[in-house]
Amino acid sequence: MSLLELHSVHKIYGSGAGAVPAVRGVDLTLRSGETLGLVGESGCGKTTLGRVVVGLQPATSGTITFEGRPIEGEYGRRDIRRRIQMVFQHPAQSLNPRMRVATMLAEPLKLLTDVSNDAIDDRIASVLTLVGLGPEYAGRRSSELSGGQQQRVAIARALMSEPDVIVLDEPTSSLDQSVRSRIIALLRDIQQERGVAYLFISHDLSTVQRIADRVAVMYLGRVVELADTKTIFESPEHPYTKALLSAVPSMDLDARRTRVILEGETPSPSELPVGCSFQDRCPLVHDRCRREFPALLPTRPGHDVECFAVEPQPAVTE
Amino acid sequence: MTEPFPASSGDDATFDPTEFDATLTRRSFVRRNPLASAGITILALYILLAVFGPSFVADPLSTDPASAFQSPSADHWFGTDQFGRDVFARAVHSARLDLTIGVTVALAAMVIGSLIGLIAGYWGGWVDEVIMRITDVVLAFPGFVLALILVAVIGNSIPNVAVAVTVAYIPYFVRLTRAEVLSQREMEYVDGARLAGNPPWRTALRHVLPNSLESSLVQATLVAGWSILTVAGLAFLGVGIRPPTAEWGVMVAEGAPQIITGQWWTSLFPGGMIVLAVMAFHFIGDEFGGEGY
Amino acid sequence: MLEVNDLTIGVEHSPLSLLREVSFTVEAGQIMGLVGESGSGKTMASLAIMGILPPGIEFREGSVAVDGRALVAADGVVRRTAEEMAMIFQHPRSALNPTMRVGRQISRVIRINQGVPAEEAQQRAVQMLAHVGIPGAQRVAKAYPHQLSGGMCQRVMIAMALSCRPKVLIADEATTALDVTIQAQIFDLIRDLVAETQAAVVFITHDLAAVAEMCDRVTVMYGGQVMETGDTRSVLTNPQHPYTRFLLDAIEREVDPRVEEKGVNFALSGCRFAHRCPYAFEACREFPPMVRVGDSHYASCFLHAEERSSSVTA
Repeated sequence: MSLLELHSVHKIYGSGAGAVPAVRGVDLTLRSGETLGLVGESGCGKTTLGRVVVGLQPATSGTITFEGRPIEGEYGRRDIRRRIQMVFQHPAQSLNPRMRVATMLAEPLKLLTDVSNDAIDDRIASVLTLVGLGPEYAGRRSSELSGGQQQRVAIARALMSEPDVIVLDEPTSSLDQSVRSRIIALLRDIQQERGVAYLFISHDLSTVQRIADRVAVMYLGRVVELADTKTIFESPEHPYTKALLSAVPSMDLDARRTRVILEGETPSPSELPVGCSFQDRCPLVHDRCRREFPALLPTRPGHDVECFAVEPQPAVTE
Repeated sequence: MTEPFPASSGDDATFDPTEFDATLTRRSFVRRNPLASAGITILALYILLAVFGPSFVADPLSTDPASAFQSPSADHWFGTDQFGRDVFARAVHSARLDLTIGVTVALAAMVIGSLIGLIAGYWGGWVDEVIMRITDVVLAFPGFVLALILVAVIGNSIPNVAVAVTVAYIPYFVRLTRAEVLSQREMEYVDGARLAGNPPWRTALRHVLPNSLESSLVQATLVAGWSILTVAGLAFLGVGIRPPTAEWGVMVAEGAPQIITGQWWTSLFPGGMIVLAVMAFHFIGDEFGGEGY
Repeated sequence: MLEVNDLTIGVEHSPLSLLREVSFTVEAGQIMGLVGESGSGKTMASLAIMGILPPGIEFREGSVAVDGRALVAADGVVRRTAEEMAMIFQHPRSALNPTMRVGRQISRVIRINQGVPAEEAQQRAVQMLAHVGIPGAQRVAKAYPHQLSGGMCQRVMIAMALSCRPKVLIADEATTALDVTIQAQIFDLIRDLVAETQAAVVFITHDLAAVAEMCDRVTVMYGGQVMETGDTRSVLTNPQHPYTRFLLDAIEREVDPRVEEKGVNFALSGCRFAHRCPYAFEACREFPPMVRVGDSHYASCFLHAEERSSSVTA
């Protein structure tokens, strides 16, 4: 069931006094065939976490298991690399500007799989069709494509080796709304056809709402709330999630919601206070938050929250 | 659904107004790049001269003391020198030699320098440290002085001169390529290439290098000009290519003393050809390297 | 307050027009959203109104007036003062001078435009910074842009833009680069300041939800052409132009599959959306007129022109 598991994964950049902890002890499970949304604001560590999951950067500590076996340090192996792929944020930048689409798509096949050379062209044509472009795009260069087409090629490249997990790092953020909508529809279709699991990283909550089965909310390197999409958007528990959701502009002209406007800004990850990292902006802050570190605990089955105020056991008695 | 309107332009959804000048307004290449066009024209003439010229002119080495120091005329376009050799024939033969050396040196320095720069920029760490310190030391000498020292050490045959000048210009390409690789390395397509299974050396050579060569190509045209100047300079000082070889620098060196005695043509014509050739390369390099590219 | 009429700009030495007969008005104290996707001409429109067109782009015709005073001369040169118009940009950090303390940047604007002595200008700069909700304005005034966060820099930009109390404020994707929680703060700030100063605001964005949240009126652009304009509620709940409908579908539903994913064709002389529009017909080869489709709600589309004429004949 669970395909990919992260156990207390840390990623710290630099060392000594200038060390910046980008990811601070994340536990997550990705089930096969599901879409797990990973949301948070800039600097929360979501992109770093995605890069650690695909092995572009090593974790500082913690374990990552794939189908039950640890894969730290194994990313160079063909059978691991083949099965965990990624799509990046900037479609124009993520494709080699001097290479033809076919050359780019052939690389994962040649380098990661045993597909025979004769079969490569057929595979490229079928994947290009799957992503809605068609075989005639094989001879193009990325500079001849629009942003949406480039992102389709990037998705095709990630699909070539028939992976089980694709990390999607803000795949629609730099696209126009109408193109974005189509890419999301495409990703959903691909998931149904191929059964691939997505780790969908985004700062855009409305996009995540449209595609994710479950959502993890990150703040300053920690997952602070994790639940299925409906629960996160309809009955969030963590004060940060609530504030984040209420800050998103809404198309609904009549629902003047009660806004939770957060005071101040996200503190720098290199100067975190003792206790809960959200304490300085939290409307529910009390003494305990400044002394102890909260843990991500279930309030209900399938709904984990990292906050003293909503712990299932009696919270504050003093 | 049939489309009622033919779409005449491409379907690139992004629009960048700065692209308009070059792509959508119909201004000719010459109008947009006057200097480079002049450079390319001059260079084309030189190449024609270097390729076909030598078969149509007299032997550059045959002497005829009886007709020494004739001023330019219909028979001898550039006059004759103190041994009665035809200056035009010698200048045409040197065009072949000097252009060959200039282009070879620029290409060799670019290939070697870019590969070293790629290694330094892509692998970083102590490899980068070592390479860049060596480069700094080499760059501390002006290119000309370094080439002069090298020629003094390894001898002044034509290939040795070319090697010496190449070595002197390699560090420029190392620096340029390294700087470009450092920025390209951070691009998402490099991560994409790694995820597609490319081992580090393949990522570096197939993906990073081709995207890091643009400024080196511009530099190469400049270096082609400089190395012609350097080769001629070494010959002028008497440490480079030796007489009686037909080479512009040699000719200028031999002709210089006669300027005071009135035979200006023996040095002025080869000198002018050096200036024109170096200028042509610079025009091309400047325009493509500078604004408007 | 701000009146833009038939604004047309194009590429020098070329028949391409980047804006075609763009017209809109914004009243004092009103926020008008200018929405469109990339290449819609919304940014180009703001640059033309401010008179800061990039090189190679030429003014062709049209007029821009603030409070009845025409800003654009016949030669296309815009003469405006800081009391008339100010602009805030998408990337506040790159719009600020990195080598100058932010307090000084604001006080210079005040000094140059209003001729106040340096000391008084400096005091007013600090007041402005406090006014846009910057805690410790005295201290922030002495900071350089790189020492401030993106949200702070945008507040500084807003303080600078409003320091001369402009009648018109143009906000070009002012919150796009910011996190949503910071965006919400800036939205509140802009709303409060507009209510207070009664400036007319052109709020340029690609985000229709931001329009729903912020704007009284909205103008939808595509390919340099105004597609639809009107009251926000009317346009968003009852869109009359096929393009507006397509944009709205993209937010929550699937988009119409018949609309091809294609770039803007700036050479089209007819309706710019026609080569993607599923309803396009012969008439769309001509430039469509603005048709009134509701109370102060207009759409530039022959579908409505036809309906009207046919209903008239029927």
